[in-house]
Amino acid sequence: MDKFLRDKKAIILFIAPAFLLFTLVLFIPICQSIYYSFCDYNALTKPVFIGLENYKQLFTIDRTMKIALKNSMFFLIFSVVTQLIAGLILAALLTNIKKGRDFFKNVYYLPCVLSSAALGLLWMFIFTPKLGINQVLAQFGIEGPLWLMDTKGYIILPMWVIASVALWQYVGQSMMLYMAQIAGINSSLYEASYIDGCTRAQAFRYITLPLIRPMVATAMSLNAIGSLKFFDLIFNMTEGGPNHMTDVLATHLYTQGFKFFKYGYASAIGTVLLVLCLLVTFIINKFVKVDNYEM
Amino acid sequence: MKKSGRKPTKLITKIIYVFLSLLAVIYLLPLLWVIYVSLKDDKTLFVSPWAMPEHLMIENYSFAWTAGRLGVATLNSALVCGITLILGLLVGSMAAFAIGRMRWKLSGAMMTYFLTGMMIPVHCILIPVFTRFSKMHLTDNLVGLILPYLTLSLPITVFIMTGFFQSLPNELFESACIDGCSIYKTFTHIALPLSRTGLFVTGLMTFVANWNELLLAMVFISDDSKKTLPVSLSKFVGPYNTNYSQMFAAIVIAIIPTIIVYCMFSNQIVDGLTAGAVKG
Amino acid sequence: MKKKVLSVLLSTAMIASMLVGCGGGSDTPAAPAADSGASQDTADSGEAAAPAASGDVEEITWMFWDDLNATEDLISIGYRETVERFNKDYEGQYHVNVVTTNLEEYYPKLNALVAAGETPDCFIVSPGPNLDVYVEPGVAADLSSYLKADGWMDTFNGGEGAFSQQTYDGKIYAVPLNIAAACVFYNTEMFANAGITTMPTDWQGMLDACEKLQAAGYTPLTISAGTAWCLSMLAGYLCDSEGVDTAALDAGTASWLDSNVVNATNKLVEISQYFQPTAAGDTNDVATANFYNEEAAMLIQGSWAIAQINGSNPDFESKCGVFAFPGTDGRVIAKSDSLAMSANTSHPDAVIAFMKYFTDDTAQKYTAEVGGKIPVTTVEYDASKAPAQLAYVMDVFGNAKSTFGFYNESLATTEAGSTFDDTMVSIYLGTPVEDGLASLEDWYKNNIWNK
Repeated sequence: MDKFLRDKKAIILFIAPAFLLFTLVLFIPICQSIYYSFCDYNALTKPVFIGLENYKQLFTIDRTMKIALKNSMFFLIFSVVTQLIAGLILAALLTNIKKGRDFFKNVYYLPCVLSSAALGLLWMFIFTPKLGINQVLAQFGIEGPLWLMDTKGYIILPMWVIASVALWQYVGQSMMLYMAQIAGINSSLYEASYIDGCTRAQAFRYITLPLIRPMVATAMSLNAIGSLKFFDLIFNMTEGGPNHMTDVLATHLYTQGFKFFKYGYASAIGTVLLVLCLLVTFIINKFVKVDNYEM
Repeated sequence: MKKSGRKPTKLITKIIYVFLSLLAVIYLLPLLWVIYVSLKDDKTLFVSPWAMPEHLMIENYSFAWTAGRLGVATLNSALVCGITLILGLLVGSMAAFAIGRMRWKLSGAMMTYFLTGMMIPVHCILIPVFTRFSKMHLTDNLVGLILPYLTLSLPITVFIMTGFFQSLPNELFESACIDGCSIYKTFTHIALPLSRTGLFVTGLMTFVANWNELLLAMVFISDDSKKTLPVSLSKFVGPYNTNYSQMFAAIVIAIIPTIIVYCMFSNQIVDGLTAGAVKG
Repeated sequence: MKKKVLSVLLSTAMIASMLVGCGGGSDTPAAPAADSGASQDTADSGEAAAPAASGDVEEITWMFWDDLNATEDLISIGYRETVERFNKDYEGQYHVNVVTTNLEEYYPKLNALVAAGETPDCFIVSPGPNLDVYVEPGVAADLSSYLKADGWMDTFNGGEGAFSQQTYDGKIYAVPLNIAAACVFYNTEMFANAGITTMPTDWQGMLDACEKLQAAGYTPLTISAGTAWCLSMLAGYLCDSEGVDTAALDAGTASWLDSNVVNATNKLVEISQYFQPTAAGDTNDVATANFYNEEAAMLIQGSWAIAQINGSNPDFESKCGVFAFPGTDGRVIAKSDSLAMSANTSHPDAVIAFMKYFTDDTAQKYTAEVGGKIPVTTVEYDASKAPAQLAYVMDVFGNAKSTFGFYNESLATTEAGSTFDDTMVSIYLGTPVEDGLASLEDWYKNNIWNK
């Protein structure tokens, strides 16, 4: 058995296509981009090596970077926590109902298959004071807030709005991952537990949860990376405005790199993002994941 | 005891259904609004956004279809995403099998290596990838889109599939080994079919991501006859003003194929659910 | 062992190439396999450029920021006609292929092309810091000799003066195609009902007019703070009327905390009480719609808005008047679309011939009569065909003593311009004037003055 799974030739054959593709198309450019982060580079002229200058500027004088870091952290915590809870609840509810499971599951997953750019535009429309939700509120005599332009508070209202829209869009993904994993659980486990007098809630707590724990780690890491890299919705709803108050790392990177032609500087932001992602994935795997749960 | 236990369950079921239905409304209303806006004209859209359209602007759709060349674009998108989907699942799950199931020292490191691909925004690598592809004459060419899409979907495929392979019971592989099954056959005949649900989920996720990808497609493709759907949709955003109702019509057209693919896949996932018997 | 590894590597390389080949094979109708023979290449270009498939045709590319087929922008439609005319007239000699993106992805794509050494032969660009970026590293070609060679420059209104925003060290790097001027559009009916008979010519007059309009029950002014450059256009006028010197600010000899900037910003806050209540969240499209749907009396916009206004509400054309922004001492904000040529193009003559089509009489007549923008040449056009507002804009432009660019396109860098825009929006949203300007000053210290 051990020899069977240690077959070197097979390992190389299995891993090689992905490894070669990944290295050539993605990893070398990533290294290049890290190199650019130490350069003054605008893509139109040759990069000039300037050492840590970009990082120094990023962490000492760039005010937008501070806001972006704060917003990204907010986003990370908000989406990891809410997606975990909401995703698990939905998955648990849907696996337990008999009628209409397909319908509800399809409806909740629907926004995941639509383009974030289009949905961002749609929500921007809905939160535009002249056109959307405020007009409906006005019918009831309520003056709606400036959903996407309010700048009061530590975490400003637009960030809550965008984070909620993101939850709306992506919770289906977590739900689907959990449901797929629950599908793999051997049903005899449940039957045995019911014979022993377990309630459904107990079965969920003591059988489902521990068994899908590896998937919880996977889904959480995906959420965490996704929320740190989060771009489309924000870009289409606020473009980071007003006055960079809703900028996150990815939108700041875009603005610096593609609006102001500072690729070297943008690459430095990208590298910070990469390091953050690695760190967060490491933490999640350390504390959530358990080694190979055997069923 | 039994009787009294049943009633609250029924009530709870009712509450669950009410909750799920309310949530469904929150999900469907904005999407229905897209269709609704796509049938108005821009002028009435700004004056009375919520009023019923006086006459339905079906021509928004025909204009979007012809002016945006959505037909060719849909075909290109289907081609690029279809090929990427099949290759991506194959290559990705092969690597995932080696990482998640086979025993070698570097498997953890390899996983982290692939994961870095997910952690850097595509904006960062755009210029290096483009210059490289341009030297290889792969720009303005659908292959030049398939390769990066394929590679970009690898990390997530490897990541999720590894989890699925790891959750397969050990005995399966032991018995396969005892029966004299080769490692390759074990992969194709045992591991892959049993992780079907995982394949569908990752397939769906990567397909959707590629289907909606704009930046690479916009930069890599210049020839109008090779543009993909998201690029064609962006045609309705003008430099000074945007033609919202036509753009929403185009969005509706673009959504339809995704929903078809989605329904095909999502039903498979449900099959997986029921095959594993009803839970709880 | 080594042999084994090598064979494995080789076989995987084979698999990889097979995968690539397979990908290429299944989309042969669209993809010209890069390394395949010439026969397929010509077949492909023949498909793309049907009328000019012969080998002697000089193919050039032009990159533009709006799709020419899906667009409803009248200026873009005019460009489409120009391209068609050029390709027809020069059939068999030159052929231009148009590469389009939307505005958002335009510069990312252009820069990627430049970085890969595939700069399009001809590309559109906004003057100001956006053009600087291509002039400094030598991406854009010096066009002076072409302009001076055969009297091309003399056809321009004002001769060499027409190129002030495109000239660097006496060399001209881009050709303007049309000019838009930022003016105050107003609803004549509302003005009459509010009892305003003479147009405001100074700041106090502007405030009085707003007051009267408000008293008559109208929203005096519609503006977009959601689209930062719209609000910044107003701020730019106010700064200029206070005598703010952008060159001095760039050089560091003036400060954003100087009294003239503070005064201008205070004026912005003062007039903001007359904005529509939803100004903070309205986008440019919504703010303009407020005006042509007669929900507000005035709109401060570039003259490109004429096409949008008349296109969306044709009945409104007769009610729409235009006057120059008051109190600026005859200075008007103007913006032009410009064409630049790649310094590496191998077909400069074709590119120049193409550029000339944009500034010939047919194209320039169209610019005025249909597009509603100000022509750059001295062409005679039929004023009765042009939108009613164009005549007013022409008056404003004709009476202008001098022009200046958009503030966000006149400051040291694109980022400086954008920071100015954002600062003005944040002040409008409630940041105290001193704090807002102090942060702008701070940004300049860190990013402009110490470099």
